[in-house]
Parts: sequence; C-alpha cells; structure tokens
Amino acid sequence: MRSLWLALRDLTLEFRGRAGILSVVFFLAVMLFILGLAFGPNPQDLQRAAPGVFWVALAFAGSLLASRAFGLEIEDGTLDDLLLTSGSREWIYLGKLAFQLALLLGVGVLLLLITAGLFYLPLGPWPWYLLTLVLGTLGYAAISTFYAGMLARLRGREVLLPLLLFPLVVPVVLSAVRATGDLAGGVPPGEVAGWWQLLVVFDVVYVVASGLLFPYVLEG
Amino acid sequence: MQLTRSSGKRDGLTPALLAGGLLGLLVGFYLALSAPPDVNQGWLVRIMYLHVPMAWLCYLAIFGTLGYSIAYLVRRNPRYDRMAAASAELGLLFSALTVLSGALWGRPTWGVYWTWEPRLTTFAILIAVYVGYFVVRSAIEDPELRANASAAIGILGSINVPISYMSVKWWRSLHQTQTIDLTTGKVNMEPSMLLALMVNLLAFTLLYIAFVRLRGIIAEREAEKLEAQHG
Repeated sequence: MRSLWLALRDLTLEFRGRAGILSVVFFLAVMLFILGLAFGPNPQDLQRAAPGVFWVALAFAGSLLASRAFGLEIEDGTLDDLLLTSGSREWIYLGKLAFQLALLLGVGVLLLLITAGLFYLPLGPWPWYLLTLVLGTLGYAAISTFYAGMLARLRGREVLLPLLLFPLVVPVVLSAVRATGDLAGGVPPGEVAGWWQLLVVFDVVYVVASGLLFPYVLEG
Repeated sequence: MQLTRSSGKRDGLTPALLAGGLLGLLVGFYLALSAPPDVNQGWLVRIMYLHVPMAWLCYLAIFGTLGYSIAYLVRRNPRYDRMAAASAELGLLFSALTVLSGALWGRPTWGVYWTWEPRLTTFAILIAVYVGYFVVRSAIEDPELRANASAAIGILGSINVPISYMSVKWWRSLHQTQTIDLTTGKVNMEPSMLLALMVNLLAFTLLYIAFVRLRGIIAEREAEKLEAQHG
C-alpha cells in the first residue's frame, strides 16, 4: 500500500515538473527521426528495423528515466526521510518500480505510435504489442530501478547506470524485439508465446532478486 | 566487526594447490602436444586444450562469485567479499581469454572471428557485467556499501548467465542462419585427446581455487594495511 502511495507521489511530482518527462519524449522523437533517416527511405527496410529501433530507443529512455526515480529524492534530501520509516525497505523498491513502470509504459505507448508512423510498423496486433510492452518494461524497470537506487548517491552515476544496466537487460531486449517483430510479421500470437514465457521468467526472477537485495544496497 | 587474522597463520593449502595446478598444466601441455591431430580440424584442435579449460574456469568463477556474494550478504564477513571480488577478477580475465582464444580458433575453422553463437554471445555479455562490477567497486569508497553493492551485482550478474544463454539460443534458432556446432570433433574423442583435455581441466580447476585464495590473501593484507594507516 505504501508502495502505491510512493509511486503516486512520484508520478504527481514528475507531471508537475514536466521538464524531465517532456525532454525524454522529445529526445526519443528526435532519435527515432534520425534512425528513420539512417535506415530509410525504403519502407521494407524501415519495417524490418522497426522492432529493434523501438526497443533500443525505449531502453535509452529507460536509462534516462531511471535516474529520475531517485534524482528528486537526492535533490530534496527526502531519501533519508524515506529510510527513517519503520519496517523493512522492500516497499521503497516496489514503489519506485511501480513509478518507473508507469512512466515507461506511458512513454512506450507514445513511442509505439511514433514508430508505427515513421517506420510503417503495422498496428494490427496492438493488444499483443501491449502485452509485450508490459512484460518487457517490467523486466527492464526491475533492474533499472534497482541500480538507480544503488547508485543514487555516487558520483558518475550517469555513466555507471547504463554500463551496469545494458548487459543485464540483453535477454529482455532480445525477447521483446523478437516478439514484436514476429507479431508485426503476422505470426500468430500462439507462436510468439515462447518469448513471453522467457520475459515472464525474467520478470519474476529479477523482481524477486532485486526486491530481496535492495535493502542491502540502499545507502544510509 | 572482528578482524580475521588468517594471514598470521601459514597457509599451506594455497601453495600446494598452486603447485598442483602448475604441474597439471605442464603435464597437460605435454599431453596436448603429443595428442594426434583431429580428423576435421587437424592441428588446430590444439587450441581446444586451452580454450575449453578456460571456459570451464569461467563457469567456476561465475559460481564462485555467486556463492561468495550470497555468503557475504548472509554472514557479513569481509573475507567473503574479497573472495567474491577475486573470483570475479578471474572471471573477467578468463572470459576475455576464452573469447580471444575462441576467435583465434574460429577464424581458421569457420572463416570468421565472431559468430552470434549463444555461448560466445553470453561470454561477451559476461565480460560487460564483470567490467561493470569492477568499475562500481572502484567508484564506492565506503567498504561496507562497496561490499553490498558488489555482492548485488555479482548475484544479479550470475543469475543472468543462463537467461541470456537461453535467449540468444532461441534468437538464433529462429533466425535460421548457419548452424555452427562448437562441439565438432569432440564427440568421438580419441582417448589420448580426452586425457589431455581432462588433465587440463583438472589443472585449471586447481589453479582457479589457488588463484582465488591467493588473491583473497593479498586483498586481506591490503585491507589490513589500509586499516593500520587509518588508525
């Protein structure tokens, strides 16, 4: 319950501030535009590149957003207040995870629409895209939130975060790209299920492991 | 916190393991050179006698890092943190050597230095994880936080190995590219080749344990020196 309040508070702050989330969205739009120029203008090439472009762009956005999860807490010095609350600290992780997940999902849907427009990604199987998006972003956010919390007070965290994050999320990006690509290519959802299973396994393993480890790595 | 003072005692096991490993390496080297060439690969197969034990040592290092990281979080003994770091150091070194020797083997056998083979890709990811491990270790000053953070990276990174392996394997199998079997020539292995490989595997196992212990001792002395300097 506390986790949800924390996530809600962070979302409120994020949307009140606006600058952070807006700059991430515009960064992504510009990135997609440049990638479109690089791969285009042949529609077939663009369509083939679309799933990879989408997920790599989302991964970059995720590493930018992840530092926002604890950035405000550090700036305002409120992390210590959170740490003072009674009980174990897993709930802080879960709250931040929910916050990250909400942000990533929002950005992801927007990004999907832009990709569909610029890269001719067929939007027919959109419910399945959404499923892939939820599973993929959950796995991604599980790790990005964990490392963002761990590195929150370190110097050079902007460089360290992607360095730690990207090798670990290779399975997520790989499965999500393949699932999205197969769906776009007209493969029936039943045959894509294997990738979703892999994503579910990843999500479960990493949410549990990160949740258990989080209290150890939070400074203070 | 109690300071462990095992360095005061003489550690007989580490030199013994080291000597055993080195001896095994010499014997294995001789056996590998006297083993017959492979039917398909000719003399090239000799790279295998080093490549496979190196990869084996990496697996040991992954398990070692995972085990010592968990042990540290449970027992809170700084010794386990040093051992985990020692194991990760060996993992980094030998995964780099494995990829390198694999590339040198792959070029004459398959004509390419690199292929998106699951094991190869997993090793490349592993190198990146270990590099992150040591960058974070050097970035954190507070010893306890450093130990906690590296234990976390060690555990998350080790769990990642089977998952990335599976994902790359599926990714490739659906891609329908050329299938290259790294195990070619190892199925029907000549007894003398098998013996050479086994001796090398044993030697690398002994060396792994010896190196981790040795590195742990060095790190312990460094920590003691640092503590003495600070008061």
